Amino acid sequence: MGSDEAYNFVFKVVLIGESGVGKSNLLSRFTKNEFNHDSRTTIGVEFSTRTIQLKGLIIKAQIWDTAGLERYRAITSAYYRGAVGALLVYDITKHLTYESVERWLKELYDHADPHIVVMLVGNKTDLGSERSVPTEEAKDFAEKNGLLFLETSALESTNVETAFHNVLGEIHRKVSSKEVTRGSISAVSLASPIPRAAGDPEEKKPCCKNL
Amino acid sequence: MAKIENGRQSADSRSIRTISSSHMDDESSLGSDSEINGFTNDRHTDKYGFIGGAQQYSEESAQDVPPEVLRQREVKWLDMLSNWDKWMVKRHKKVRLRCQKGIPPSLRGRAWLYLSGGKVKREQNRGKFEELDSQAGDPKELDVIEKDLHRQFPFHEMFVSRGGHGQQDLFRVLKAYTLYRPEEGYCQAQAPIAAVLLMHMPAEDAFWGLVQICEKYLPGYYSAGLEAIQLDGEILYALTRRVSPLAYRHLEKHKMEPILYMTEWFMCAFSRTLPWASVLRVWDMFLCDGVKIIFRVGLVLLKCMLGTREKLKACQGQYETMELLRAIEPRYMQEGFLVREVLEVPVSERDVEREHHVQLKRWRKNHGELHCKSPPRMHGARAIMASEPPSRQDLRQNPTIIVESPLPPPQPTPQLKKGEKKSKKEGSMKKAPPVMEIPNPYPLPGDPSASTEISSASTEISSASAYSERLNSTAAPRQ
Repeated sequence: MGSDEAYNFVFKVVLIGESGVGKSNLLSRFTKNEFNHDSRTTIGVEFSTRTIQLKGLIIKAQIWDTAGLERYRAITSAYYRGAVGALLVYDITKHLTYESVERWLKELYDHADPHIVVMLVGNKTDLGSERSVPTEEAKDFAEKNGLLFLETSALESTNVETAFHNVLGEIHRKVSSKEVTRGSISAVSLASPIPRAAGDPEEKKPCCKNL
Repeated sequence: MAKIENGRQSADSRSIRTISSSHMDDESSLGSDSEINGFTNDRHTDKYGFIGGAQQYSEESAQDVPPEVLRQREVKWLDMLSNWDKWMVKRHKKVRLRCQKGIPPSLRGRAWLYLSGGKVKREQNRGKFEELDSQAGDPKELDVIEKDLHRQFPFHEMFVSRGGHGQQDLFRVLKAYTLYRPEEGYCQAQAPIAAVLLMHMPAEDAFWGLVQICEKYLPGYYSAGLEAIQLDGEILYALTRRVSPLAYRHLEKHKMEPILYMTEWFMCAFSRTLPWASVLRVWDMFLCDGVKIIFRVGLVLLKCMLGTREKLKACQGQYETMELLRAIEPRYMQEGFLVREVLEVPVSERDVEREHHVQLKRWRKNHGELHCKSPPRMHGARAIMASEPPSRQDLRQNPTIIVESPLPPPQPTPQLKKGEKKSKKEGSMKKAPPVMEIPNPYPLPGDPSASTEISSASTEISSASAYSERLNSTAAPRQ
C-alpha cells in the first residue's frame, strides 16, 4: 500500500470545528511539524498521515480536515465515513466557537460511528491573555459528555502530540477491548484491507477485494 | 506549502474595519505591500506576482508567447472589445478561438469583464457597488470574511500584506456580495474566485465578475446546502465513464465520492490546483464557454492520474486514490498539454445538461426536492449576453486615461515622442479601424518603422547621458 512502512493499524481521525479555530494548523503541526499564520482556507478535504508508536504497536494515523463553515456540513457524510476518532476544536479566545460545540457533537453522532472517540480541544493557548473560555468550564462539559479534553497551541506546539496520542491510544483501547466488535470500527491490520463499517446501508456487496 | 513559522509578529491582527484609511495610506507610501511584511528581494516574485515559487511557476515549462504575436493578438482583442456585440453575435466562433489561444495578459481583465457580462452589469447598475461598499454589512458574515482575508493566495504579493490593499479590496468585494445577496451570504470558496478577479481588475469590476460567476456560470455552488456542487460531482463521475472507463471503474470500486476530490477543483475553478499559467488559460476558456470547461479539466486530470493500469496498481484504496488526485503530476497540468487535452474532451454543453437531468432525477429519488433551487446555468458568454442583452452604451469602453496625441500614421515618420507610446490599454479610439491598418507601435528591429524609433531612442539616450554628465559636474561630492 503506497509508501510501505509496516504498521499494525490505520486509524482515521477527523478534525471538526468552526472556521478559523486552527484545525488545519493542528493537522500540519502534528503530521509535518509546520505552522503557518496564513495557511489557506480549507475547501473540500485535506488530509495527511503520520505513523506513531503506541504501546509497542505501530499506528498509522490518517488525519482528515475540512472546511468549518456551516454550509459545508451538507457534504460531510463522506468525510465521516470510517472515522474512529475526532478532534472537536474550538478557539479559546472566541467564545462563539465554543458555543457551537454541542451542534458539532450532534452532527458527529448523526454521521459517524457511534463508538467514535472524541476529544474536545481548546486551541490557541498561546493567546492566553485573550482567553474567553475558562478551562474548567470546558473540562466539565467534556466530562459530562464522555469526551476527552485538552487545551493546545498549534503555534507553540503545545499539547498537540499529546492530544493525538491520547485519541489514538483511546481508539486502540476500544478496538482491542471486547467493548466493540471488530467489524464496527474500521481499524485495519496488515493482514486485511480496510473493511467498511458493517451495517452501512449503501453497501451492496462485499467491499474487500484484493487487487 | 506551509513553511515552518517562528512567531511572526502580528501587530496586524487588528480587524480591517478599525484601520483608518489615512493610516493605510501612510503605510503604503513606505513601499510595496510585500516589503512591509519583511519580504526582501531574495524571495523571487514571478511574473504573475507569486513569491518564492508558489503556485508552481516553472521557467522550463513556461509557454511564453513571442512579443510580436502578443502585439497582434492585442490589436485583435482591442478590435473585438470595441465592437463586442457584433463579434459575439456574428463571429462568436472567432472569439472562442481567441479565448482558447489565451487572452493577452494586458487585456485579460477587460476581456474577462466583457465575457462574463460583468461590464454590462456594471453599466446597468451605476452606483450600486458604491452603495454596497458604503454599507456596514452583517457582522456575522463579516467576521467569517475577515478570517479568510489573509488566507487567500497568501504568497501572492497582492495579498501577502495583512490589511494591505489587496486584502482590503477582497474584503470590500466579498462584503458587497453579502449585501447584494443577503439570502446567499458568504461562502468561503468565493474568496479565491474574487481574489483571482482582483488580480486583474479593480474592486468594482471584480465584484460584478463575481456576481456573474456565482449566478450565471456556477449558480448554487456557493449557496447553503451546496447541492449544486454535489450534483456536479455526480455529473463529473458519470462523464468519467465515457472519457476513461478505467478511471471510472476504479472510482466505482473504491466508492470514491466525488465530493472527496472535486470540491476544491470546481468551487475554486481550479485556481488552487493548477500552475498559474494554466489557471489563466482555463479561466479564459471557462468565461467564454462556461462550466463544460471545468468538467473537461476535471476529466483530463482524472484520466491522466487514474487512466492507466500502472497508475492504478499503486493505488489500492480510497485514501491512496485521494492522495494521487491531490498530487497531480506537473506535466499533466502544464499549460500547453492541458489546453490541448481539454479541447479534445468529447463533452459538450448538451452532454452536461443531459447528465444534469439524469442526476437531478436520481437526487430527487434519494434526497427529495432540492432545497436551493438555483436558476439554470448559462453556458458561457454568448448565452449570458443573450439573456442579458446590452445596449451599445453598456458596452462602450470608458477609458480613464486619455492620451492627447493620436497614434502615429502607418508610414514611418518623424520621431515618436515618449508620450505617444502610451499604453494602448487606455488610448481613446473612437472608431476602430480595420485590423490591417492599425500600426504596430512596438515594432521589432528589422521592421521598416524600427529604424526611426531606434534613432529617436538613441537621441533620448544621448540626451540623457548629457544630462547626467551635467549633473555630475555641478553636483557637490556626496558622503
